[in-house]
Amino acid sequence: MSMKLSVAVSQGVAMLALAWLMPLSAAGLESRPAQPAPALQAKDFAGRSHTLADYRGQVVLLNFWASWCPPCRREMPSMERLRLRMAGRPLVILALDSVEPVEDVQEFLATMKLGFPVLLDPAGDNTRRWKVYALPTTFLLDSSGRIRHVLKGGAEWDEGEALEAIEGLLREAGMEGP
Amino acid sequence: MMFRLILLTAGLFAWGAQAALPDYQTFPGDGPRLLLWVNAERGRAEPELEAARKLAAQGTTVWSLDLGGAYFLPQLPSSMDAVPVQDVVDWLDAALATGKLATVYAVSRAAVPMLRAAAQLDAAQRGRLCVLLMYPNLYQSAEALVDADYLDTGRLDGLAIRLLQPRRSAATPWLPAQTAHLSALGARVTPVMLENLREGFWARETPTAFETERATQLDRLILKELESCR
Repeated sequence: MSMKLSVAVSQGVAMLALAWLMPLSAAGLESRPAQPAPALQAKDFAGRSHTLADYRGQVVLLNFWASWCPPCRREMPSMERLRLRMAGRPLVILALDSVEPVEDVQEFLATMKLGFPVLLDPAGDNTRRWKVYALPTTFLLDSSGRIRHVLKGGAEWDEGEALEAIEGLLREAGMEGP
Repeated sequence: MMFRLILLTAGLFAWGAQAALPDYQTFPGDGPRLLLWVNAERGRAEPELEAARKLAAQGTTVWSLDLGGAYFLPQLPSSMDAVPVQDVVDWLDAALATGKLATVYAVSRAAVPMLRAAAQLDAAQRGRLCVLLMYPNLYQSAEALVDADYLDTGRLDGLAIRLLQPRRSAATPWLPAQTAHLSALGARVTPVMLENLREGFWARETPTAFETERATQLDRLILKELESCR
Protein backbone atom coordinates (compact mmCIF):
# COMPACT_ATOMS: atom_id res chain seq x y z
CA MET A 1 0.00 0.00 0.00
CA SER A 2 2.76 2.37 0.99
CA MET A 3 4.62 1.38 -2.19
CA LYS A 4 1.54 2.23 -4.28
CA LEU A 5 1.19 5.49 -2.44
CA SER A 6 4.84 6.26 -3.01
CA VAL A 7 4.52 5.54 -6.74
CA ALA A 8 1.35 7.61 -6.98
CA VAL A 9 3.05 10.52 -5.22
CA SER A 10 6.09 10.20 -7.46
CA GLN A 11 3.91 10.18 -10.56
CA GLY A 12 1.97 13.17 -9.28
CA VAL A 13 5.16 15.06 -8.60
CA ALA A 14 6.53 14.13 -12.02
CA MET A 15 3.35 15.33 -13.74
CA LEU A 16 3.37 18.55 -11.80
CA ALA A 17 7.02 19.05 -12.66
CA LEU A 18 6.26 18.39 -16.32
CA ALA A 19 3.34 20.80 -16.28
CA TRP A 20 5.61 23.35 -14.64
CA LEU A 21 8.45 22.87 -17.11
CA MET A 22 6.53 22.54 -20.37
CA PRO A 23 5.28 26.12 -20.60
CA LEU A 24 8.85 27.33 -20.04
CA SER A 25 9.71 26.40 -23.61
CA ALA A 26 7.98 29.62 -24.71
CA ALA A 27 5.56 30.64 -22.01
CA GLY A 28 3.50 33.60 -23.15
CA LEU A 29 4.38 33.66 -26.86
CA GLU A 30 1.71 36.03 -28.03
CA SER A 31 0.29 36.01 -31.54
CA ARG A 32 -0.54 39.46 -32.82
CA PRO A 33 -2.56 40.54 -35.83
CA ALA A 34 0.00 41.27 -38.53
CA GLN A 35 1.24 44.81 -38.07
CA PRO A 36 4.01 46.87 -39.63
CA ALA A 37 7.26 46.86 -37.70
CA PRO A 38 8.84 50.05 -36.38
CA ALA A 39 12.12 51.05 -37.97
CA LEU A 40 15.22 49.17 -36.95
CA GLN A 41 18.43 51.12 -37.38
CA ALA A 42 21.38 49.56 -35.62
CA LYS A 43 25.03 48.81 -36.15
CA ASP A 44 26.99 45.69 -35.42
CA PHE A 45 30.48 45.53 -33.88
CA ALA A 46 32.08 46.10 -37.27
CA GLY A 47 30.09 49.32 -37.69
CA ARG A 48 27.85 47.89 -40.42
CA SER A 49 24.33 49.29 -40.46
CA HIS A 50 21.37 46.90 -40.34
CA THR A 51 17.74 47.64 -41.17
CA LEU A 52 14.77 45.31 -41.58
CA ALA A 53 14.74 46.05 -45.30
CA ASP A 54 18.00 44.11 -45.51
CA TYR A 55 16.10 40.96 -44.53
CA ARG A 56 12.89 41.33 -46.54
CA GLY A 57 11.76 37.93 -47.84
CA GLN A 58 13.05 36.17 -44.74
CA VAL A 59 11.44 35.35 -41.43
CA VAL A 60 13.13 37.45 -38.74
CA LEU A 61 13.60 36.69 -35.06
CA LEU A 62 14.49 40.00 -33.42
CA ASN A 63 15.61 39.63 -29.82
CA PHE A 64 16.11 42.57 -27.44
CA TRP A 65 18.53 41.57 -24.71
CA ALA A 66 21.30 42.69 -22.37
CA SER A 67 24.29 40.86 -20.97
CA TRP A 68 23.34 41.65 -17.36
CA CYS A 69 19.95 39.95 -17.80
CA PRO A 70 20.00 36.28 -16.66
CA PRO A 71 17.03 35.04 -18.75
CA CYS A 72 18.55 36.74 -21.81
CA ARG A 73 21.78 34.85 -21.28
CA ARG A 74 19.94 31.59 -20.67
CA GLU A 75 18.03 31.66 -23.97
CA MET A 76 21.02 32.59 -26.15
CA PRO A 77 22.28 29.01 -26.64
CA SER A 78 18.83 27.96 -27.90
CA MET A 79 18.93 30.73 -30.48
CA GLU A 80 22.30 29.50 -31.67
CA ARG A 81 20.96 25.93 -31.89
CA LEU A 82 18.00 27.31 -33.85
CA ARG A 83 20.38 29.01 -36.28
CA LEU A 84 22.25 25.77 -36.85
CA ARG A 85 19.03 23.80 -37.22
CA MET A 86 17.65 26.29 -39.76
CA ALA A 87 20.85 26.53 -41.81
CA GLY A 88 19.95 27.06 -45.48
CA ARG A 89 16.40 28.17 -44.69
CA PRO A 90 15.24 31.80 -44.86
CA LEU A 91 15.32 32.62 -41.16
CA VAL A 92 17.50 35.37 -39.77
CA ILE A 93 18.20 35.90 -36.08
CA LEU A 94 19.12 39.39 -34.88
CA ALA A 95 20.09 39.99 -31.25
CA LEU A 96 19.85 43.67 -30.39
CA ASP A 97 21.68 44.59 -27.23
CA SER A 98 19.72 47.23 -25.36
CA VAL A 99 21.46 50.24 -23.80
CA GLU A 100 24.80 48.80 -22.71
CA PRO A 101 28.40 49.86 -23.09
CA VAL A 102 30.00 48.01 -26.02
CA GLU A 103 32.72 46.62 -23.73
CA ASP A 104 30.15 44.84 -21.55
CA VAL A 105 28.60 43.20 -24.61
CA GLN A 106 32.00 42.15 -25.94
CA GLU A 107 32.97 40.70 -22.58
CA PHE A 108 29.86 38.52 -22.56
CA LEU A 109 30.22 37.44 -26.20
CA ALA A 110 33.76 36.30 -25.48
CA THR A 111 32.19 33.60 -23.30
CA MET A 112 29.63 32.46 -25.88
CA LYS A 113 30.20 31.78 -29.56
CA LEU A 114 27.20 33.03 -31.52
CA GLY A 115 26.86 32.82 -35.30
CA PHE A 116 24.07 35.38 -35.74
CA PRO A 117 24.45 39.16 -35.88
CA VAL A 118 24.58 41.00 -32.57
CA LEU A 119 23.49 44.61 -32.99
CA LEU A 120 24.02 47.52 -30.64
CA ASP A 121 21.54 50.05 -29.30
CA PRO A 122 23.71 52.04 -26.89
CA ALA A 123 21.39 55.04 -26.60
CA GLY A 124 18.21 52.97 -26.57
CA ASP A 125 16.67 54.54 -29.68
CA ASN A 126 15.49 51.21 -31.08
CA THR A 127 14.36 50.01 -27.66
CA ARG A 128 12.14 53.05 -27.31
CA ARG A 129 10.89 52.91 -30.91
CA TRP A 130 9.81 49.28 -30.44
CA LYS A 131 8.45 50.14 -26.98
CA VAL A 132 10.31 47.39 -25.18
CA TYR A 133 9.75 47.60 -21.41
CA ALA A 134 11.16 44.24 -20.35
CA LEU A 135 14.15 42.11 -21.29
CA PRO A 136 14.32 39.80 -23.05
CA THR A 137 11.57 40.69 -25.50
CA THR A 138 11.49 38.93 -28.85
CA PHE A 139 9.54 39.66 -32.02
CA LEU A 140 8.88 37.21 -34.83
CA LEU A 141 8.38 38.91 -38.18
CA ASP A 142 7.00 37.27 -41.30
CA SER A 143 8.73 37.40 -44.65
CA SER A 144 6.88 40.63 -45.48
CA GLY A 145 8.42 42.34 -42.47
CA ARG A 146 5.23 42.38 -40.38
CA ILE A 147 5.20 41.58 -36.67
CA ARG A 148 3.32 38.33 -35.99
CA HIS A 149 4.41 37.13 -32.55
CA VAL A 150 5.80 38.79 -29.42
CA LEU A 151 7.36 37.14 -26.39
CA LYS A 152 8.19 38.95 -23.17
CA GLY A 153 10.59 36.72 -21.26
CA GLY A 154 12.91 33.90 -22.19
CA ALA A 155 12.28 30.79 -24.30
CA GLU A 156 13.90 27.70 -25.70
CA TRP A 157 13.77 28.82 -29.30
CA ASP A 158 14.67 25.53 -30.94
CA GLU A 159 11.73 23.57 -29.56
CA GLY A 160 8.05 23.56 -28.68
CA GLU A 161 5.73 26.47 -29.25
CA ALA A 162 8.49 28.86 -30.31
CA LEU A 163 9.78 26.52 -33.00
CA GLU A 164 6.23 25.83 -34.20
CA ALA A 165 5.58 29.56 -34.57
CA ILE A 166 8.75 29.98 -36.63
CA GLU A 167 7.93 26.95 -38.79
CA GLY A 168 4.43 28.38 -39.26
CA LEU A 169 5.81 31.63 -40.62
CA LEU A 170 8.19 29.75 -42.91
CA ARG A 171 5.31 27.57 -44.17
CA GLU A 172 3.14 30.62 -44.84
CA ALA A 173 5.83 31.97 -47.10
CA GLY A 174 6.05 28.65 -48.91
CA MET A 175 9.34 27.80 -47.30
CA GLU A 176 8.67 24.30 -46.00
CA GLY A 177 11.38 22.45 -44.14
CA PRO A 178 13.22 19.47 -45.60
CA MET B 1 -19.89 58.25 35.30
CA MET B 2 -20.26 60.55 32.31
CA PHE B 3 -16.59 61.54 32.62
CA ARG B 4 -15.58 57.84 32.56
CA LEU B 5 -17.71 57.31 29.45
CA ILE B 6 -16.05 60.27 27.75
CA LEU B 7 -12.61 58.93 28.67
CA LEU B 8 -13.54 55.47 27.39
CA THR B 9 -14.84 56.93 24.13
CA ALA B 10 -11.74 59.07 23.73
CA GLY B 11 -9.56 56.06 24.46
CA LEU B 12 -11.39 53.92 21.91
CA PHE B 13 -11.13 56.71 19.36
CA ALA B 14 -7.40 57.05 19.96
CA TRP B 15 -6.97 53.27 19.66
CA GLY B 16 -8.99 53.30 16.47
CA ALA B 17 -6.81 56.06 15.01
CA GLN B 18 -3.67 54.17 15.98
CA ALA B 19 -5.09 50.94 14.51
CA ALA B 20 -5.40 52.66 11.12
CA LEU B 21 -1.63 52.92 10.90
CA PRO B 22 0.01 50.05 9.07
CA ASP B 23 2.20 47.80 11.18
CA TYR B 24 5.81 48.96 10.87
CA GLN B 25 9.16 48.32 12.49
CA THR B 26 11.11 51.14 14.17
CA PHE B 27 14.86 51.61 14.27
CA PRO B 28 15.34 54.56 16.62
CA GLY B 29 18.06 57.10 15.92
CA ASP B 30 18.98 60.19 17.93
CA GLY B 31 19.31 62.64 15.02
CA PRO B 32 16.83 65.01 13.35
CA ARG B 33 16.11 62.74 10.35
CA LEU B 34 13.34 60.21 9.88
CA LEU B 35 13.48 57.75 7.01
CA LEU B 36 10.23 56.08 6.01
CA TRP B 37 11.50 52.93 4.34
CA VAL B 38 8.81 51.16 2.30
CA ASN B 39 9.90 47.80 0.96
CA ALA B 40 9.09 46.42 -2.46
CA GLU B 41 6.27 43.93 -2.93
CA ARG B 42 8.74 41.11 -2.26
CA GLY B 43 9.12 42.21 1.35
CA ARG B 44 12.19 42.93 3.48
CA ALA B 45 15.59 41.48 2.63
CA GLU B 46 18.31 41.08 5.23
CA PRO B 47 20.66 43.65 3.62
CA GLU B 48 17.84 46.19 3.87
CA LEU B 49 17.35 45.49 7.57
CA GLU B 50 21.10 45.72 8.08
CA ALA B 51 21.16 49.08 6.28
CA ALA B 52 18.27 50.30 8.48
CA ARG B 53 20.20 49.29 11.61
CA LYS B 54 23.31 51.11 10.35
CA LEU B 55 21.34 54.26 9.52
CA ALA B 56 19.79 54.25 13.00
CA ALA B 57 23.22 53.84 14.56
CA GLN B 58 24.30 56.93 12.60
CA GLY B 59 21.36 58.92 13.96
CA THR B 60 18.62 58.49 11.35
CA THR B 61 15.43 57.04 12.75
CA VAL B 62 13.99 54.45 10.37
CA TRP B 63 10.39 53.34 10.18
CA SER B 64 10.43 50.20 8.09
CA LEU B 65 7.17 49.28 6.41
CA ASP B 66 6.57 46.03 4.56
CA LEU B 67 3.17 46.68 3.00
CA GLY B 68 2.70 43.11 1.82
CA GLY B 69 3.35 41.77 5.31
CA ALA B 70 1.32 44.48 7.03
CA TYR B 71 -1.79 43.74 4.97
CA PHE B 72 -1.20 40.01 4.34
CA LEU B 73 -0.99 40.57 0.60
CA PRO B 74 0.59 38.27 -2.01
CA GLN B 75 4.10 39.28 -3.07
CA LEU B 76 2.91 40.74 -6.35
CA PRO B 77 3.19 44.24 -7.81
CA SER B 78 -0.60 44.50 -8.08
CA SER B 79 -0.88 43.92 -4.31
CA MET B 80 0.63 47.35 -3.74
CA ASP B 81 -2.25 48.91 -5.66
CA ALA B 82 -4.67 47.42 -3.10
CA VAL B 83 -3.07 49.04 -0.03
CA PRO B 84 -5.54 51.33 1.81
CA VAL B 85 -4.18 54.75 0.91
CA GLN B 86 -5.75 56.48 3.91
CA ASP B 87 -3.66 54.29 6.22
CA VAL B 88 -0.53 55.44 4.43
CA VAL B 89 -1.69 59.07 4.64
CA ASP B 90 -2.11 58.60 8.41
CA TRP B 91 1.37 57.08 8.57
CA LEU B 92 2.86 60.07 6.75
CA ASP B 93 0.92 62.42 9.05
CA ALA B 94 2.34 60.62 12.07
CA ALA B 95 5.85 60.90 10.62
CA LEU B 96 5.50 64.63 9.93
CA ALA B 97 4.07 65.13 13.42
CA THR B 98 7.35 63.92 14.94
CA GLY B 99 8.91 67.20 13.81
CA LYS B 100 11.81 65.32 12.23
CA LEU B 101 12.90 65.80 8.62
CA ALA B 102 10.88 63.05 6.98
CA THR B 103 12.03 61.32 3.82
CA VAL B 104 10.21 58.46 2.13
CA TYR B 105 12.25 55.72 0.46
CA ALA B 106 9.98 53.43 -1.57
CA VAL B 107 11.11 50.51 -3.71
CA SER B 108 9.55 49.28 -6.95
CA ARG B 109 5.72 49.10 -6.90
CA ALA B 110 5.57 50.38 -3.31
CA ALA B 111 6.05 53.78 -4.93
CA VAL B 112 2.40 53.74 -6.00
CA PRO B 113 0.67 53.83 -2.56
CA MET B 114 3.30 56.27 -1.30
CA LEU B 115 2.71 58.71 -4.16
CA ARG B 116 -1.06 58.33 -3.81
CA ALA B 117 -0.75 59.14 -0.11
CA ALA B 118 1.56 62.09 -0.79
CA ALA B 119 -1.00 63.42 -3.27
CA GLN B 120 -3.58 63.52 -0.49
CA LEU B 121 -1.44 65.60 1.88
CA ASP B 122 -2.06 69.32 1.93
CA ALA B 123 0.44 71.42 0.01
CA ALA B 124 2.38 72.51 3.11
CA GLN B 125 2.80 68.93 4.32
CA ARG B 126 3.82 67.74 0.85
CA GLY B 127 6.39 70.51 0.69
CA ARG B 128 7.99 69.20 3.89
CA LEU B 129 8.30 65.71 2.50
CA CYS B 130 11.02 64.33 0.30
CA VAL B 131 10.64 61.09 -1.65
CA LEU B 132 13.30 58.70 -2.91
CA LEU B 133 11.90 56.24 -5.43
CA MET B 134 14.08 53.22 -6.19
CA TYR B 135 13.25 51.95 -9.72
CA PRO B 136 9.55 52.76 -9.28
CA ASN B 137 7.07 50.67 -11.19
CA LEU B 138 4.23 53.08 -11.94
CA TYR B 139 2.79 51.27 -14.94
CA GLN B 140 -0.82 50.22 -15.30
CA SER B 141 0.33 48.33 -18.37
CA ALA B 142 3.54 48.22 -20.36
CA GLU B 143 3.17 45.99 -23.39
CA ALA B 144 5.66 45.86 -26.23
CA LEU B 145 4.85 48.10 -29.23
CA VAL B 146 2.30 50.10 -27.20
CA ASP B 147 2.73 53.32 -25.22
CA ALA B 148 2.94 52.58 -21.50
CA ASP B 149 -0.08 53.44 -19.41
CA TYR B 150 0.62 54.93 -15.96
CA LEU B 151 -1.42 54.32 -12.82
CA ASP B 152 -3.28 57.31 -11.46
CA THR B 153 -1.53 58.73 -8.41
CA GLY B 154 -3.13 62.16 -8.22
CA ARG B 155 -1.41 65.57 -8.34
CA LEU B 156 2.03 65.78 -6.74
CA ASP B 157 2.53 69.54 -6.80
CA GLY B 158 5.67 70.64 -5.02
CA LEU B 159 6.76 67.14 -4.03
CA ALA B 160 10.53 66.64 -4.20
CA ILE B 161 11.33 63.28 -5.80
CA ARG B 162 14.67 61.66 -6.51
CA LEU B 163 14.26 58.85 -9.03
CA LEU B 164 16.95 56.24 -8.38
CA GLN B 165 17.46 54.02 -11.41
CA PRO B 166 20.00 51.19 -11.54
CA ARG B 167 21.65 51.45 -14.96
CA ARG B 168 21.37 47.72 -15.73
CA SER B 169 17.63 47.67 -16.11
CA ALA B 170 15.07 47.53 -18.89
CA ALA B 171 13.61 50.66 -17.31
CA THR B 172 16.73 52.74 -18.00
CA PRO B 173 15.73 53.93 -21.49
CA TRP B 174 12.36 54.93 -20.04
CA LEU B 175 13.77 57.09 -17.23
CA PRO B 176 13.26 60.36 -19.18
CA ALA B 177 9.63 59.38 -19.85
CA GLN B 178 9.04 58.53 -16.20
CA THR B 179 10.66 61.81 -15.13
CA ALA B 180 8.44 63.72 -17.54
CA HIS B 181 5.35 61.89 -16.28
CA LEU B 182 6.01 62.79 -12.62
CA SER B 183 6.99 66.34 -13.54
CA ALA B 184 3.71 66.74 -15.41
CA LEU B 185 1.94 65.83 -12.15
CA GLY B 186 3.69 68.77 -10.47
CA ALA B 187 6.58 66.98 -8.73
CA ARG B 188 10.12 68.37 -8.69
CA VAL B 189 11.97 65.36 -10.08
CA THR B 190 15.69 64.63 -10.10
CA PRO B 191 16.73 61.42 -11.88
CA VAL B 192 19.75 59.63 -10.43
CA MET B 193 21.51 56.86 -12.36
CA LEU B 194 23.09 54.11 -10.26
CA GLU B 195 25.94 52.78 -12.38
CA ASN B 196 26.79 49.08 -12.81
CA LEU B 197 23.85 47.93 -10.71
CA ARG B 198 20.71 45.94 -11.38
CA GLU B 199 17.31 46.36 -9.78
CA GLY B 200 17.22 44.83 -6.31
CA PHE B 201 21.02 44.53 -6.36
CA TRP B 202 21.05 43.95 -2.58
CA ALA B 203 19.11 40.69 -2.91
CA ARG B 204 20.05 39.16 -6.27
CA GLU B 205 20.44 35.38 -6.55
CA THR B 206 23.66 35.72 -8.50
CA PRO B 207 25.08 39.14 -7.65
CA THR B 208 28.22 40.52 -9.25
CA ALA B 209 31.13 41.34 -6.94
CA PHE B 210 30.26 45.01 -7.35
CA GLU B 211 26.64 44.42 -6.38
CA THR B 212 27.68 42.43 -3.32
CA GLU B 213 29.93 45.29 -2.25
CA ARG B 214 27.24 47.90 -2.85
CA ALA B 215 24.65 45.82 -0.96
CA THR B 216 26.79 46.16 2.16
CA GLN B 217 26.91 49.92 1.57
CA LEU B 218 23.19 50.43 1.02
CA ASP B 219 23.04 52.69 4.08
CA ARG B 220 25.64 55.01 2.54
CA LEU B 221 23.76 55.24 -0.73
CA ILE B 222 20.48 56.08 1.01
CA LEU B 223 22.11 58.56 3.37
CA LYS B 224 23.72 60.35 0.42
CA GLU B 225 20.39 60.57 -1.42
CA LEU B 226 18.60 61.57 1.75
CA GLU B 227 21.00 64.48 2.20
CA SER B 228 20.71 65.46 -1.49
CA CYS B 229 16.95 65.51 -1.24
CA ARG B 230 16.94 68.59 1.00
